[in-house]
Amino acid sequence: MDNFFEKIVELFTTPEYIESLLHGFLLTLQISFFAIIIGLILGTVIALVDTAQKSRWMIIPKFICKVYTTIIRGTPMALQLFIMFFVIFAIRGFPQIITAILAFGFNSAAYVAEVIRSGIQSVDSGQTEAGLALGLSRFTIFRKIVAPQAIKNIIPALGNEIITVIKETAIASMVGLYDLNMAAKDIGSGQNMASYIVPMFVAALFYLAVVYLITFVIKRIEKKLRESDSRV
Amino acid sequence: MEDIIRIKDLKKQFGKNKVLKGIDFDLKTGERVVVLGPSGSGKSTFLRCINRMEEPTSGEIYFGNTLITDKNIQKMRQDIGMVFQHFNLISNLTVMENLTLAPVKLKLMNGETAEKKARGLLRHIDLLDKAESFPASLSGGQKQRIAIIRAMMMEPKVLLFDEPTSALDPESIGDVLDLIREVADGGMTIMIVTHEMSFAKEIATRVVFIDEGKIIEEGTPEEFFAHPKTPRVKEFLEKVL
Repeated sequence: MDNFFEKIVELFTTPEYIESLLHGFLLTLQISFFAIIIGLILGTVIALVDTAQKSRWMIIPKFICKVYTTIIRGTPMALQLFIMFFVIFAIRGFPQIITAILAFGFNSAAYVAEVIRSGIQSVDSGQTEAGLALGLSRFTIFRKIVAPQAIKNIIPALGNEIITVIKETAIASMVGLYDLNMAAKDIGSGQNMASYIVPMFVAALFYLAVVYLITFVIKRIEKKLRESDSRV
Repeated sequence: MEDIIRIKDLKKQFGKNKVLKGIDFDLKTGERVVVLGPSGSGKSTFLRCINRMEEPTSGEIYFGNTLITDKNIQKMRQDIGMVFQHFNLISNLTVMENLTLAPVKLKLMNGETAEKKARGLLRHIDLLDKAESFPASLSGGQKQRIAIIRAMMMEPKVLLFDEPTSALDPESIGDVLDLIREVADGGMTIMIVTHEMSFAKEIATRVVFIDEGKIIEEGTPEEFFAHPKTPRVKEFLEKVL
């Protein structure tokens, strides 16, 4: 036990270790943040194409989106990461962080698209019919009726997806990125097995803190949306 | 009176299931047509094809002298009101917003005029105090009466009712029928699919009976209910009256 406390003290008093952890944490946050943004934007576009009215012009875009989500959701994230690093962006000097952001962002987009698509489709078709029968355009119906109702179904699941992305970025360490996960491993290495415990534990707390914060924010948003639901 | 709606050889199938097998029908201005028939006969589908809630498989529908197409249907719907079985009030909008959204968005009137008109109609059905409520807080009967005045806000030329009382408790059916009666007395051209036989008898200027996707008998309510011509209608009436 003494050894354990010593290790904790050592970790928090060695500036290199702290620096490593913070550096790793920052990289994890950067990759996560930009990957989530890409995922949300691209995912929304895919979902809109997917749920759009069937027409001649939409056949090919719809097909592309279907293929995209099928491939992304049907293959391991780690493999997608490898392909991005060692095939698609195997360009000397191309910033690794951007490759990682794109890999996680493109992956997340497929899941975000599914979340948004199912959110849109879960809105009762009678709501759309009411708008149509009144002579409103599809665009107005989407903006004023379907989207506001879909959001309520989408937010909780989207929160889950954001959390998943943050934790999944840990595999960036597999291709040598110095993220939080890698930092923990790095600090612990070169000594003995026990030396891993503390840095890993601290890294876990970092992940937990971020996930907890996001869960909290999502819950608040959900509550706000519910309040507007029961206004009388 | 001139024809407001003319339907020629209307067919509709869902997959392999042929629901409408060729319907010819004319509706004149001022008529109140009640569509009767057993469940699954296609009567709701027939009504829903008129404003293209369902896309007809084949056939022609004219509104006035204009053939309804995918291109012009949106404009036509301003003149063809519809009241649904499940009310379909927009759940994220207040009662007032439900009433004013379409007329204002479609620039039929400005916001102020629309609100004034909505207030008048709400007062008339005794629900003015619900103007700022959300549909979730209303009873079925209240929702349906609001759905009816929502359709009336558009000042349509014809109003389609798709089983307007089928999803209501017995107590509120009366209120809704009273309001439909009032709309009818105001001279509105009406088509209504219903299972309320006594109401049908009272309100209809013409009864149309659909079975297995075809109109098999039509006539005035007096003829239809007292002297049905076909055995199928006789059998139907014996069961329901």
